[in-house]
Amino acid sequence: MKLKKFHWTRILLAAVIVFFYIPILYTIVFSFNSTRSLTTFSGFSLRWYEKMFSSSMTMNAIWTTFLVAILATVCSTIIGTITVIGLSKCSKPLRRTVNMVNDLPIMNPEIVTAIGLLMFFATMEISKGFMTMLLAHIAFCVPYVMLSITPRLRTLDPNLADAALDLGANPWQAMWHAIIPQLSPGIFAGALIAFTMSFDDFVISYFVTGNGVQNISILVYTMAKRVNPSINAISTLVIVIITAVLLLINLIPLVRDRAANRKKEEEAV
Amino acid sequence: MKQFRSMAYPYVAWIAILIILPMLLIIAYAFTVEGTAFFQCQFTLDNFARFFSDAVFFQVLIRSMRTAIITTIVCLLLGYPAAYAISRSGMSSTKLILIITLPTWINMLVRTYAWVGILQDNGLLNSLLGLLHIGPFQFMYTDFAVVLGMVYNFLPFMILEIHTSLSKMDPSYLEAASDLGADHVKAFFKVTLPLSIPGIISGITLVFLPAVSSFFIPKLLGGGQYVLIGNVIESQFLTSGNWSFGSALSLTMVIIIMISMYFTRKLDRNREDEV
Amino acid sequence: MNLKHRIVSLLCAGTLLTGLLSGCGGPGTEFDGTNKSSGNSDTLRLYIWGEYTGDEIIENFEEEYGCRVIMETFDSNEMMYTKLTSGDSYDVLVPSDYMIERLLKENYLQPIDREVITNFDLLDKNVVGLPYDPDNTYSIPYFWGTVGIVYNKNHVDYADLEKEGWNILANPKYENKLYLYDSERDSFMMAFKALGYSMNTDSEEEIHAAYEWLCNINNTMHPVYVTDEIIDNMINGTKDIGIVYSGDAAYILSENPDMGYYCPTQGTNIWSDAMVIPKNAPNPDLANEFLNYVLTYDASYDNTEEVGYTSSNAEVAADVYGEGGIYEGNEAYVPRSGFDKDEVFRDNEYLRQRLSELWIKVKAGSTASNG
Repeated sequence: MKLKKFHWTRILLAAVIVFFYIPILYTIVFSFNSTRSLTTFSGFSLRWYEKMFSSSMTMNAIWTTFLVAILATVCSTIIGTITVIGLSKCSKPLRRTVNMVNDLPIMNPEIVTAIGLLMFFATMEISKGFMTMLLAHIAFCVPYVMLSITPRLRTLDPNLADAALDLGANPWQAMWHAIIPQLSPGIFAGALIAFTMSFDDFVISYFVTGNGVQNISILVYTMAKRVNPSINAISTLVIVIITAVLLLINLIPLVRDRAANRKKEEEAV
Repeated sequence: MKQFRSMAYPYVAWIAILIILPMLLIIAYAFTVEGTAFFQCQFTLDNFARFFSDAVFFQVLIRSMRTAIITTIVCLLLGYPAAYAISRSGMSSTKLILIITLPTWINMLVRTYAWVGILQDNGLLNSLLGLLHIGPFQFMYTDFAVVLGMVYNFLPFMILEIHTSLSKMDPSYLEAASDLGADHVKAFFKVTLPLSIPGIISGITLVFLPAVSSFFIPKLLGGGQYVLIGNVIESQFLTSGNWSFGSALSLTMVIIIMISMYFTRKLDRNREDEV
Repeated sequence: MNLKHRIVSLLCAGTLLTGLLSGCGGPGTEFDGTNKSSGNSDTLRLYIWGEYTGDEIIENFEEEYGCRVIMETFDSNEMMYTKLTSGDSYDVLVPSDYMIERLLKENYLQPIDREVITNFDLLDKNVVGLPYDPDNTYSIPYFWGTVGIVYNKNHVDYADLEKEGWNILANPKYENKLYLYDSERDSFMMAFKALGYSMNTDSEEEIHAAYEWLCNINNTMHPVYVTDEIIDNMINGTKDIGIVYSGDAAYILSENPDMGYYCPTQGTNIWSDAMVIPKNAPNPDLANEFLNYVLTYDASYDNTEEVGYTSSNAEVAADVYGEGGIYEGNEAYVPRSGFDKDEVFRDNEYLRQRLSELWIKVKAGSTASNG
């Protein structure tokens, strides 16, 4: 019985993963298509890759996307974590108000957030470009980070921080050593969501950017005027980069362990 | 505890500037007459009157809600068991979470375009069905395609949220339950499920909200005739340039969503007060 | 915790953040400066439709004039308008006819320096002096064309097309076989033309009749409303009839020989996208040079070869269409002239509002009745 249930959910998980990856494979395959078509594969070619690498606009867009996503993830995770911890000690009305305001960017259609920010930057006469895009991304990522940390914090023992403080830690130490480790799965999930949101964002970026600063989404959207498989080539490149980074992250500890083991063995000998 | 409190204050200022202020600008638009020049104000309720006087907008709103609710239910039915399987898989759960989130890092527009190719009348799915001598069916430009596109895009959020709340669960609760004679099913419904409700609720939030306002997915997979409220809002801003009406529509939608979220969260909040 | 404390800390944080924000303008431009050198006399900011330039034209211009081009792209005239009116500055914009008229009315454009535009005479006479800018004081045409019907020659009877014109969209023979272009302007244009009205009408009666015409098609024919997917879909022959811009049609025809292009005699939209220089352009001198450069044979050829839209340079268009050209004999490539009923879109605020309102109703009606 127990075993059977285990299998049932696992099969579903496998199906979900297959479901997630079908369009990705499709994208990769069609990035090698020799014509523009998205439905008929007419032959292998690298022309879309040539087109991509020869375009400085495309390469800039890829760079901007990664840079904004990484900076926005780091900033919003830090801001979100600190705020959630701080808020948990604040009065209930303040906590509720902040949570309510936080819901706004999540609930609003993206375009409304985008227009609001556009109007804001225009009124403040802030020149649009990389910085405005980054600020906007941090602004819409933080609520998601907080949303994913809050439930975790709720189950935390409220006396934990007090105990740390009583033992002579300052608030930052207490936070770093006592609270954050407990929250780490929530923080991790929040950071992932933030990265995803930022990396994938189109509407908000589209409105708040300027001076030729573009991310991949903007490029893709305006390119899609004509179905253009160099978009598929860009995606393929992105997935290769991300997979490589993930593999590296997973492999480095492995290699290090092995090296350490070998050293130990050598020493033993 | 003061030391911790002050940590929240910078963010209060931050949201005042980057969330509340832009929102106030939108409200200003919703209640003023046409014109894209800033601060060109004249109070009016026409924009709201237009929304409430026309049955079409109400229909569109209902359709958006329906699509979003179906999407959320499907995501929950698929996402919960998937998250459950991940959280029971021990050491490899972090890797599985990465596998789940990896596809979301590919541009949403691109992934949705890929579905267009797959679901097309002469696309991959119909060719595969053709091998089994089934079909061809028309998948594109139907409810099926739109819901599929939304589930595809938003399911990872549901899985992430539920996984977060499942993974922090103390396994000793389950042991206790089985010690007390509960079988596996009973333990699940009495212990696991109730403890994961906060995760379910944030998952629903993360799926329902983007689903109800999305405009790109219905446009691409449902065709231009699949008008959801997000499409109407988008067209007000991007094609007809009527910012005031667009703002009024957005405000109305935000209010409706807030009310529905309030009731959803009430459940959660009651629990919080109990604890 | 007391209120005073709260307000003080809020204010402090507020000033801190505003400081940060205004400081950000600095690093922001600096970032641009490192790899793009903004605002200098050797930078041209071009804001143009996506996928609307040739492979080499930008690079060649940069080389020849020793400057740098920052290109941004938009996907609708209204998007361009939003960005421009919210204070972004560009040197050259390439919007469509009616949008140019609107920008002119609202005083966003500066006159072109015709002294610099030595290539003006290369322009096709049919795109010069269009009603939105009768003397071409403010605009230089870039691409132009018509809107028409792409049809599958094997499945659609040419006699039906000739007899019914736009009304073929209501012919039950072709139920479920239609792609309409998801744009209120182009859809209402067909309706107005089918009913024999001007597409720039103000008459509520005529607007309503057009609305009914579209509703009828929507409710009986089950068309699918798409935008640029139509290109790929028509090449694949997914459906038999599609409403397409002539430039896209030229590409469809060149990829799928079964397809034909037809403009009903009831009249159609003669559109043109033209280059203009906004008032706040940081570098109008270079902008004028760019306009002139685009008109040269090589630059125009590069554009039309890559994009497939009809060049405003008469000689290029003739060569491309003529013997040995890349679009030899392609009936969609050369826009027709000499039809009285063909019109150019004008900027009309009342019509703009009404159409956007009614278009949602036309489309939303459909899914409601289909369930």
